[in-house]
Amino acid sequence: MLLRRLPTFAAFAALTALTFAGPSWATDKDVLVIDKAEDPPTADPGVEVSNNGYTLIFPAYERLVKYDGAKTEVIPELAESWTTAPDNLSWTFKLASGHMFDDGSPVDAAAVKYSFDRVKKLAAGPGDMFPTVKDVVIVDPQTVKFELSAPFAPFLSALATSAGSIINPKAQEHAVNGDDAKAWLAEHTAGSGAFKISAWERNQQITLDPNPHYAGKKPAFKQVIFKIVREMSSRRLQLENGDADLIDQVPVDQAEAMKSSAGVVIESNPSLYVVYLYLNNKKAPFDNPKVRQAISYAADYKGLVDGVMQGQAEQMRGAVPDGMWGHDPQGMQYTYDLEKAKQLLADAGVSNLHISFTYSQADSAWEPVGLALQASLAEIGVTMDMKNVADTTKRELVAKGDYDIATGAWTPDFADPFMFMNIWFDPTKMGAPGNRAFYENPKVTDLITQALATVDQKKREQLYIDAQKITNEDAPYVLLFQKNDIFAMRSSVKGYVYNPMLIQVYNIADMSKSE
Amino acid sequence: MSLISTILRRLVLLVFVVAGVAIITFTISHLIPGDPAQLIAGDKASAQTLAHVRQELGLDKPVTQQFVIYVKQLLSGDLGQSLRTRRPVAGDIALFLPATLELGIAALVMAIMIGVPLGVLSAIYKDGPVDQAARVVSVAGISMPVFWFGLALILLFYVKIPILPGSGRITLGIAAPPRITGFFLVDSLVAGDLKAFWSSLYHLILPAFVLAFANLGIITRQIRGSMLDVLQEDYVRTARANGLSRSAVILRHALPNALIPSVTLLGLAFGDLLYGAVLTETIFAWPGMGSYVVSSIQTLDFPAIMGFTIVASLGYVLINLAVDLTYMVLDPQIRELG
Repeated sequence: MLLRRLPTFAAFAALTALTFAGPSWATDKDVLVIDKAEDPPTADPGVEVSNNGYTLIFPAYERLVKYDGAKTEVIPELAESWTTAPDNLSWTFKLASGHMFDDGSPVDAAAVKYSFDRVKKLAAGPGDMFPTVKDVVIVDPQTVKFELSAPFAPFLSALATSAGSIINPKAQEHAVNGDDAKAWLAEHTAGSGAFKISAWERNQQITLDPNPHYAGKKPAFKQVIFKIVREMSSRRLQLENGDADLIDQVPVDQAEAMKSSAGVVIESNPSLYVVYLYLNNKKAPFDNPKVRQAISYAADYKGLVDGVMQGQAEQMRGAVPDGMWGHDPQGMQYTYDLEKAKQLLADAGVSNLHISFTYSQADSAWEPVGLALQASLAEIGVTMDMKNVADTTKRELVAKGDYDIATGAWTPDFADPFMFMNIWFDPTKMGAPGNRAFYENPKVTDLITQALATVDQKKREQLYIDAQKITNEDAPYVLLFQKNDIFAMRSSVKGYVYNPMLIQVYNIADMSKSE
Repeated sequence: MSLISTILRRLVLLVFVVAGVAIITFTISHLIPGDPAQLIAGDKASAQTLAHVRQELGLDKPVTQQFVIYVKQLLSGDLGQSLRTRRPVAGDIALFLPATLELGIAALVMAIMIGVPLGVLSAIYKDGPVDQAARVVSVAGISMPVFWFGLALILLFYVKIPILPGSGRITLGIAAPPRITGFFLVDSLVAGDLKAFWSSLYHLILPAFVLAFANLGIITRQIRGSMLDVLQEDYVRTARANGLSRSAVILRHALPNALIPSVTLLGLAFGDLLYGAVLTETIFAWPGMGSYVVSSIQTLDFPAIMGFTIVASLGYVLINLAVDLTYMVLDPQIRELG
């Protein structure tokens, strides 16, 4: 009898043993477990444009300059110092010594040249960070010079992005069919950062090990594991149970609910992620600024911030968000004023307006924003149809200008008002490249073009603030709010520093665990 | 008709099915407005970058030409490259399909192991307490949303009574077994890694049960029904009259015959399981085809969507073929008609 039941018994015993087999990994002091909602597409600085990919790229690579802790200004990282030619057409960087790639080879000027040549040659999204870089010249092993075809004021800031990561030229040995090691670098890293990818099990987990040759302080973790857990409820349970130390992509309602969980800390910081609406400026009646202003007065900003965002947001004040230089703290804000909206529509001679609101589910705020606006507009005699489409479809419709009102969300790639002002308002960038409201005002065009060629930051700031005064008045976009960036972690995790430029990037080299 | 000719005929048909699926999926994928180049190059990409990416991916060519290229690749066994991960689609499918199959097979085995005895007992003790209980289980299985049930079980067995893991295929820190079949249970046994085997088995329990539960009810009802029919048959009564014990009659005579109609059902159930796996995989962070497909659809990753659809339709047709062949072997009458 016992013999026949032995297999069952053994299985049960083994399961029981496993169940109680010591503490879970997440509670090991030298291992950090982060639950991510999505598998990062790639870890290649030359092609990756998602924050999800930056999660891996930032800890694995160093750049010439980096963001200063929580601030959006840059400080030296691989470069020890730099100079700019008076005409602003060349930048020379002196490299610090002692930085080494994860195979022990030194970071030199040739590596810098290799990295930037590669980004340029691949001509994918990251290439747009350096639109005017003409040539990278090796002056000597520790000195490198960038030659620009036109002055590009945000250059230094752009060097701090993922695209500016310095890659070990030896990566080229993994190139197949002239792909510049794209296939290999998609899943491996070859940088001088604190960590390197040691294993990537697709859709399951990514393991980072410390780079033994890292020039900085030895990290506290001997391993950092990113687990891919798509479902929010599952991520939450893992965190609450202590199987994960940190989880990303936490929606506002869940953040609220988790506040009472023991041992869990909610990190909520003002971000530069803005939520707004596109008004189709080239299409009647939105070609009339009065109609655009009317719509701007019909949005219930306070209601959206308090209700939809549960207070985890702040109403915008001009196109450049709070927290970035170029933001105008005195900038004009629209208020919720239906009487004014009605009057403006009457002034514009518009009646019986029937419009559509094109949105997707990519941002959970968009639908409630639309519903609220629909209700407000109904009160002033405007009928608005909600048009829910797939996100890729929404992007296509907006890029083609095939919409009345559409939803938008934006984060800057580098800390410069360029990311908003030159991309949103430049008439040469109409459609997919950024000016999806199809807005054009020669005065604004002039101001932002000047600002791009000016080096002096004070002067640039004034130009951008002047431009915002006009764009606020012209109302090509309904500027809604900037969101907080929310994630949750165990209270045992120490040393996290939030930088609004580095969403989904965790400074794991400086973090530690207390238990 | 002989077995061989049936197989040949069906394989020819298979080519047409796959071709049809390829044409339909390709057309639909390319009719949906949406520019994959924009997703890849990002929101802020310049017009030049977009043009470059489109050209690199061949998206600048006319759709008909793109289709011709796709078919040519397909004929040489190449499913193309994923737009999102830049990996060969065939490689991705080879990576994720075994995880889904392992989960699906485990669920099917579980559903059969519970469903068949439960169905038999329901038929024997018709309208008794067992039958009533089985009916409740069936209705619950069919009507309970996978999503809700999965989360409820995680809450119960991972949070409240923490005896089972809530996600993944293997415990963190235990290395996955060296890849041979992609089935962790098989590979770990081959490698002689018992720790990995138990951990994989242990991770399989909850998701497989959630998946099995939906089909459990259907299997139970089916077995019960055909068992009741068979029990009415003359040969069963004869066997009984000849003094064979009740259990011998049921196990040796009635059950095998009652199982024949269930073969089709099991084939269909397996298809259902793979489909249901999409949700189950999401809840349990199971790295299979489900999450791969969801991500691919979200990013309009045409080659990945196409590759998955073609492989899935192939699988479906092959499962059906297997079902029919099993039928023919089990019941010679069908062979005559076939």
